[in-house]
Amino acid sequence: MAYEPQYYPGATSVAENRRKHMSGKVEKLREISDDDLTLVLGHRAPGSDYPSTHPPLAEMGEPECSMRELVEPTPGAKAGDRVRYVQFVDSMYNAPSTPYFRSYAAAINFRGVDPGTLSGRQVVEARERDMEELAKFQMETEMTCPALASLRGATVHGHSLRLPEDGLMFDMLDRCRKEGDVVIMHKDQVGRPIDKKVNLGKPMSPEEAAKRTTIYRVDNVAFRDDLEVIEWVHRVFDKRTTYGFKPEN
Amino acid sequence: MSVTSSDTNYVQLEIFPSRLLKPETAQNLLNEIVELEGIIRLFVHGPRLPQTVPYGPATGLPVHHPGNSVIEVAGQAIELAVYIGSIRMEVADSDVKEQVREVCEKVLSVSFEFREGNFIPRRQTVSDYAKRGPDSDPLMTGMTDPKGKLKDQPVCILKPDDME
Repeated sequence: MAYEPQYYPGATSVAENRRKHMSGKVEKLREISDDDLTLVLGHRAPGSDYPSTHPPLAEMGEPECSMRELVEPTPGAKAGDRVRYVQFVDSMYNAPSTPYFRSYAAAINFRGVDPGTLSGRQVVEARERDMEELAKFQMETEMTCPALASLRGATVHGHSLRLPEDGLMFDMLDRCRKEGDVVIMHKDQVGRPIDKKVNLGKPMSPEEAAKRTTIYRVDNVAFRDDLEVIEWVHRVFDKRTTYGFKPEN
Repeated sequence: MSVTSSDTNYVQLEIFPSRLLKPETAQNLLNEIVELEGIIRLFVHGPRLPQTVPYGPATGLPVHHPGNSVIEVAGQAIELAVYIGSIRMEVADSDVKEQVREVCEKVLSVSFEFREGNFIPRRQTVSDYAKRGPDSDPLMTGMTDPKGKLKDQPVCILKPDDME
């Protein structure tokens, strides 16, 4: 029987969502066009060619190397794209994902990505078209709620603040606004105004966000409720202490 | 020696809503509060709203945040520099405290924490001395915007007649 990775222990909804994010088996909830994505990322004009930093690999004439023969380059690397970034911020108020699980999702399911995990934000650097593929995946699926998570290249302040009255995570650069029942983005990820309003879709209701979140919270699913997770966390800490101690030295 | 502290019998309160307040809600709440007798002084507290993008590739572009609006309290226009997260105030006694609580229950549609404690300095601190010097009005103690300038007059006197 083929081995199936288990990814994460636990029987609660939060543990199940963590497994979903890590395995990439997440539900697609909305549609964002390529041009809209390019607009909000703000790295190039929509519809323009990908600027390149070196000629395509096929034209470069690579040196003979068994590793290069073994590993297929990603489409971005093949074409010589620039390295660009996408950065997400997730609210502590039951946002669907968290920086750690975005990084796990990127590193497990995508090639040629360099995820950076910070306390309140998560950045992925990759060749431009590879990065866009990942950004689109994360924005269109249940990994993102337009109200509780947002694309913020600079000035990420807001993930740990209380939500404003309209439920949209506080953003001091006002990149997103709620219009009717959808969230629109009228600035790119660093705060430059863009030509059109990009529809990011409907925000999740508080009940749905609580159901889809990967955050353990005392007011939702408490970490201490998940006995299997506790057992494994204790085991990891125990083993780390034992092996870190190195009694033979 | 000059008087450097406000009346220590005053009660200090904090209203801490579970959501950051829209300028309109904050205006309604503040207008109801200032109508009460016995409010000595208050200030609003919350995350600051920049006028221009402070860093990144868009540095210097105007932000136009909807929270950065002008509200009218007791007939005076006040430009908000923060998105209101809490309101801290000093009131005359615990009767006024209960009246403030009733106003909050009436105006706020979200749940809120309401507590008594020490939120505004009652005695002059080194910062107050540096900003206003000796013999300053004890009511002004602690009433300052840490990132503002005194020349921009950060403190509004809402009811000058009551100052007598």
